[in-house]
Amino acid sequence: MLSVSAGVSVSPAGVGVRTTSGRGFTPEELAKQCVEKIIAVSDTAPPAIRDQAVAFGDRIESVVLQYMQQVVRSDRTTVYNAINEAGHPELAELIRRL
Amino acid sequence: MAFTGNFMCTSFKKELLEGGHNFTNGGDVFKIALYDSNASFTHATTDYTASNEVAATGSAPTPYVAGGGTLTNVSPTTSGTTAFLDFNDITFTGVTLTAAGALIYNTTEGAGTGTTNSVIVLDFGGDKTATSGDFQIVFPVADANDAIIRIA
Repeated sequence: MLSVSAGVSVSPAGVGVRTTSGRGFTPEELAKQCVEKIIAVSDTAPPAIRDQAVAFGDRIESVVLQYMQQVVRSDRTTVYNAINEAGHPELAELIRRL
Repeated sequence: MAFTGNFMCTSFKKELLEGGHNFTNGGDVFKIALYDSNASFTHATTDYTASNEVAATGSAPTPYVAGGGTLTNVSPTTSGTTAFLDFNDITFTGVTLTAAGALIYNTTEGAGTGTTNSVIVLDFGGDKTATSGDFQIVFPVADANDAIIRIA
């Protein structure tokens, strides 16, 4: 008798959950999460390779963070103008100063 | 009854062999629903339930609504002899909720519509709370050892 078997499995680690209270995620938090998705290096990788990967990750995180901060600033400008043009200059100013 | 680890629903394994689930990007529409610690899922769970689901909460663009949030499929791929799939992380914004686990289910199983066929149950390892904030579910690294669903 011939049989073929394969293990179908769900990740034992499951999913991670990140939460915030009284605020959203900061660009710093999101940049770190972003890099964790892009780059993964095994703890058992040769030290030279691991060090290179870590250094590359740090550089990527810095670049991603810079652009995320710019996205926040640019979107705030867009929101400021939309609210200001809707006739709410005081509210718009509050948002601009966030 | 609390959550007792991550597991795959038995009905899902059968439906896989029947070709009922398409995890490619643009394929079937999978949702993730959040539950409090009173939820009682077992391997015999076959469908989504609203029992013990967290209440609707949050603000646009991604509030938590009854039935949960729609996941974005990352098409299955392989590494060595292992096939695996992934979903993009999902964030519910401006929410106040406490969840202890989740159910992923397929709303278009077998090319149908409005289906609620269960896929996997996820245990968060305790209550996770967001208060007027964001609640983000982070899927594991998509590789042969860690991906959320793997066939080795």
